[in-house]
Amino acid sequence: MEQLINMLMVVILLTNLLLLGSSRMGTCIPTLGFQGILLGLALPVLLFLPQGITTHILVLVLITIPLRGILFPFILFRVIRKTNIQREIEPFISYPVSIFLGILALVLAFWMNSRLTGMSVPSLHPLLLPVAFYTILVGLILIVSRKLAINQVLGYIVMENGMYVLGIAFAGEVHLLLELGVLMDVFVAVFVMSIAIYRISREFDHIDVNQLQNLKD
Amino acid sequence: MNANLFIPTLFAVVFAPLILGIINRTKAFFGGRHGQPFLQLYYDLFKLLRKGATYSKTTTYIFRLGPMVGLVCVLLATTLVPFGGIRSFLCFPGDILLFAYILGLMRFFTVLAALDTGSSFEGMGAAREVHFSALAEVAFFLGLIVLAKATSSASFSDMYSSSFPYIWIANSTQMLLVGVAFFLVLLTENARIPVDDPNTHLELTMIHEVMVLDHSGPDFAFILYGSALKLWVLGTIFTQTIFPFRSGSIYLDLLFSFLAMIVLGVIVGIVESTMARLRLLRVPQLLVAAAALSTVALVLSMR
Amino acid sequence: MEDGLILWALLVIPFLGGFCCILSSKGFTIRWIACATVWTMLATAFVSLWIVSIEGAIQAAHGWLFLDMLSSYHVVLLQVVFALSTLFAKSYFPAEIAHNAFNSALLPRYGMLWLSALGAMNLVFVSNNIGIMWVGVEATTLITAFLICIHVTPKSLEAMWKYLIMCSVGVALAFIGTMLVGAAGGNLKGSHSQSLLWTFLYENAGSLNPFFMKMAFLFLVVGYGTKAGFAPMHSWLPDAHSQAPAPVSALFSGFLLSTAFYCIMRYLPLVEMATGKTGWAMDILVFFGLFSIIIAAAFMVFQQDIKRLLAYSSIEHIGIMAVGLGLGGVGTFAALFHLLNHSMGKPLCFFSAGKLVQIYGTNSIYRIKNALKITPVWATGFFLSFLALIGMAPFAIFMSKFQILKAIIEKADYISLALFLFGCAVVFISALRYMLLILWGESEANIHPQKAYKKDIFLVAFPMLVLLILGLFMPEFLQNILQKAANIIQGY
Repeated sequence: MEQLINMLMVVILLTNLLLLGSSRMGTCIPTLGFQGILLGLALPVLLFLPQGITTHILVLVLITIPLRGILFPFILFRVIRKTNIQREIEPFISYPVSIFLGILALVLAFWMNSRLTGMSVPSLHPLLLPVAFYTILVGLILIVSRKLAINQVLGYIVMENGMYVLGIAFAGEVHLLLELGVLMDVFVAVFVMSIAIYRISREFDHIDVNQLQNLKD
Repeated sequence: MNANLFIPTLFAVVFAPLILGIINRTKAFFGGRHGQPFLQLYYDLFKLLRKGATYSKTTTYIFRLGPMVGLVCVLLATTLVPFGGIRSFLCFPGDILLFAYILGLMRFFTVLAALDTGSSFEGMGAAREVHFSALAEVAFFLGLIVLAKATSSASFSDMYSSSFPYIWIANSTQMLLVGVAFFLVLLTENARIPVDDPNTHLELTMIHEVMVLDHSGPDFAFILYGSALKLWVLGTIFTQTIFPFRSGSIYLDLLFSFLAMIVLGVIVGIVESTMARLRLLRVPQLLVAAAALSTVALVLSMR
Repeated sequence: MEDGLILWALLVIPFLGGFCCILSSKGFTIRWIACATVWTMLATAFVSLWIVSIEGAIQAAHGWLFLDMLSSYHVVLLQVVFALSTLFAKSYFPAEIAHNAFNSALLPRYGMLWLSALGAMNLVFVSNNIGIMWVGVEATTLITAFLICIHVTPKSLEAMWKYLIMCSVGVALAFIGTMLVGAAGGNLKGSHSQSLLWTFLYENAGSLNPFFMKMAFLFLVVGYGTKAGFAPMHSWLPDAHSQAPAPVSALFSGFLLSTAFYCIMRYLPLVEMATGKTGWAMDILVFFGLFSIIIAAAFMVFQQDIKRLLAYSSIEHIGIMAVGLGLGGVGTFAALFHLLNHSMGKPLCFFSAGKLVQIYGTNSIYRIKNALKITPVWATGFFLSFLALIGMAPFAIFMSKFQILKAIIEKADYISLALFLFGCAVVFISALRYMLLILWGESEANIHPQKAYKKDIFLVAFPMLVLLILGLFMPEFLQNILQKAANIIQGY
C-alpha cells in the first residue's frame, strides 16, 4: 500500500517531467489529462481509504475527474484545433534545459519539504508536500519558459493541479464548499483564457506571447 | 580459491554473442523474416579471427592498440559484475566506480583508434560517441549512487547479495526508476535503436559503427566480441536491478538470471523493431530524461 | 438572523442584476437595471455600515459570512465608486457607440460582467473564510478580464492577456499562502471547518505557528500584491488601465486594487500577532510600499500616455497606503483615510482623462492640449482631481499623506522618509508639468468646444467636494469608523 502510493506520487512527478520535455501538444495535453485523473481519482482514494470513502470524497472525485481529466484536455484540444497549433518550435528555454530546470526544481521541492517537516503539520503522506511544491514549480517553469499562449494555459492548469495537492497536504479534507469554489474558479479561468486565445489568434494570426509587445513604456 | 568465482566471467565469455543473436532473431521475427542463426556471431568471430588484418599507412600503433585494449578492458569489467547471486571474481568497495571507468577507458581507446585513421567520418562518429556517452554517464552514475544508498554498499557483489530482494521491495519505486534509466543507458552505450542503428551503413547517421569501419580481421573480431561483452555486462546490471529473484539454490538462480538475459535480448529486439531511430538532436533529450529518472530516484532515496 | 440577511443581500443582488442584464436586450433596460442595482447596493451598504457601527460585527451562514467595521468601510467605498462609475458609463458609452467604437449588441454581456464584478468584490469583503476570500479575488480577475477589451484592438487584447496571466498566477501564489495559514493553525483546537475562518484565526492568532505565518505572508504579499499593483509585480497594471475604457479603468484603479490590498490588511494582524508583534510583516509592507512609490515616480517622469500616467499614479498611491499600513499607529489610520481619498479622486481623474481621450481621439499627452477651452468641465475635473491626488494642500489627500509622513517621522526612519519625500516630490513635479501642458498648451488640432451636461458637473463636483470637506475637517463619525477599522488591523 505504502509503495503503491509512493509509485503514484512518482508517476505524478514523471508526468511533470514529461510536460517539461515534450514539444508536441498532442503529447502534452493527454499527459495533463492523465495527471488530472491521477490527482482526481487515485490520490483521494488511496489517501483516504483507511477512513472509508465518505460522500465528501465521492463528490470530489466525481467532479475533479471530469473537470481535470477530461474537460480541460478537451478545451485545450479545441483550442489547438481552432488555432492550428501542433507544437512549440522554439521556446525561450530549450527542452533539455527545461528538463534540467525540472530536476533542479525537484531538488528545491524536496528541500522546501525538508524545511517544513516536523513542524506541526500532520501529513497524510511524506511525499504529498514535495509533489505539490514540485507540480506548482513545474507549472511556473512552463508559464515563463514557453512562448505560445496555449502553453501558458497548460502551465496554469499544472500549477492549479499542484495547489489541489497542496490543499490536501496542508488542510486534509478542505471544506467541500471551498473546494468547489476553487474548482469553479479554475474552470472559469481556463475557459476565459481559451476564449482569450481564440480572440488573440483571430486578431494577430498567431498566439506567440513573445510577439505581444505593443504596450511598452 | 572458490571455483564459483569464475562463473560470472565464464557466462559472459561464453554466452555474450548469443544475446546479439537473440536480438537479431527477434527483429527478424517482427520483420517477418526467418533471420540469422542464433549463433551467427560466433561464426563471424571465427571467420574474422582466421583472416589477416589490413592497416592503412597513415595509422600508427594506436590504431592497432585500440581493439586490444578495448577487449581487455571489457574482460576486466566482466570480472567485476556478479551473476545469478554469485559474487564476482574481483569485488571490493568502490568497484562500481572502477567498472564505470573501465568502460570509459574502453571507449577512450576506441575513439583514439578512430581518430588515428584521420578520416573525417570516423572523427564525426567519435565526437557523437563521446557526446552521448558523457550524457549517459550522468544517468548511470546517479543510478549507481541510488543502488549504493539503498543497499549501503559500494560493490556490485554486495549490492546484488541475497538480501537484495527485500531491499528491492522496500524501495521498489526507486529501483524501477533506476532500472528504466539503466535501460536507456544500455541502449546508448551499446549503440542500439533509438540512439544508433547497428545495421545502418549510411555514414552520416552512424555513431558507433562508423568508428570501427577501418578495422579488419582479428581486430574487428575483438571489437565485435568486445561490444557483445559490453552488452552482456550492462545487461546483467540491468536485469539484476529490475528482476531481483533469489531462490536460495545456486543453479536455479543461475538459470533464472540467464533467462532474464534472454528476455533482455527479446526486449531490446522488440524496442528495435517497433521504434525508429531518433534524430540526432533528440538523443540528448532522451539521455537527459534518463538522468532525470535517476535523479528522481536519488532524491527519493535521499529524503 | 435579520442582520445576516443584509450580508446575503450584498452578495446576491449584484449577481441577480447581472443575470437580468443578460436576459434583456435593449440598451435602455440594461442601463436601467444597472443603475437600479447599483443604487440599491449603495443603500444596502450604508445600512450595513449603520448596523455594524451600532451592533458591532455581524455574521451569517454559520460564520462563513462576516462584516466588521473594516470590511463594512470597504464595502461602502466600493459601492460609491461603483455608483459613480456606472453614472459615468451612462454618458461615456453612448458617445463610444456614436464613434463606432462599441457595439451596442454587446451591452447585455458587459452589463452582466460589470455587475458580477461588483458581486465578486462584495464576496471578498463579506467572506469570513479566507479560502472563499481567495475565490472572490480570483473571480474578480476572471470577470473583469473581458471588460478590458471592450474595444477589441490588438493592444487591448495584449493588455487583457497580460492581466489574465499575471493576476491568475499571482493570485494562485496567494492560494499557497492561504493554505499555509491553514497549516499554521493546524494544532489549534476547534472543529475542522473552522480552521480557515478569519475570526477563528484572529482569536487564536497568538498561537499560530510563526514560521508558517511568515512563509504564508510572503506568498500572500507577492500574490495579492500582484493584483494590488505592488512594484516589481505591477507590469500588467499600466497596460490594463490604459487599454480599458474609462469607467472600467476608474473601477480598476478606484477599487480593484484596493480589494486585493484589503486581503493583505486582513492577514497583517494575524501575522503580527503570531510573530509576537515584532513588526516583521509591517517592514515588508513598508519595503514594497516605498519600492512602488519610487518605481511609479520614475515611470511618471517620461510618460506620454495620459492613462498610463494615471495608472502609475495608482501604483504610487497603493505604495503610500502600504507604507502607512506598515508603519502602524497613526499610519494605519492614515492609510485607511488615504484609501477613501484615493477612491474619490482617482475615478474622477480617470473619468476626465477618458473624456479627454474620447474628445481628442488619442492617449498621447502631447496631443491633448488647450483642454480648458474645449471642455471646461472635464478639464477642471482633471485638473482638480490630479492636483488633489499629488497632494495639494486643501484637499484630503494632503491630510492623509501628511499623517503618514508624521508616522514616519515618529518612527525616526529617515531612509524611508527620504525615499517617501523624494518619490512624492518627483510625482508632484512631473504631474504638474504634464497638467499645465494639457490644460493651457497651444493646440494645433481643430476641435470644437464641447457642451457641458448637468450630470457631468455633478460627477466632477461631488468627489471634489468630498475631498475638500474632508481636507478641511474630519467628521466625528468618520473618525470613529476609521479608528475602529484601524484597531482591527492593529489587533486590539
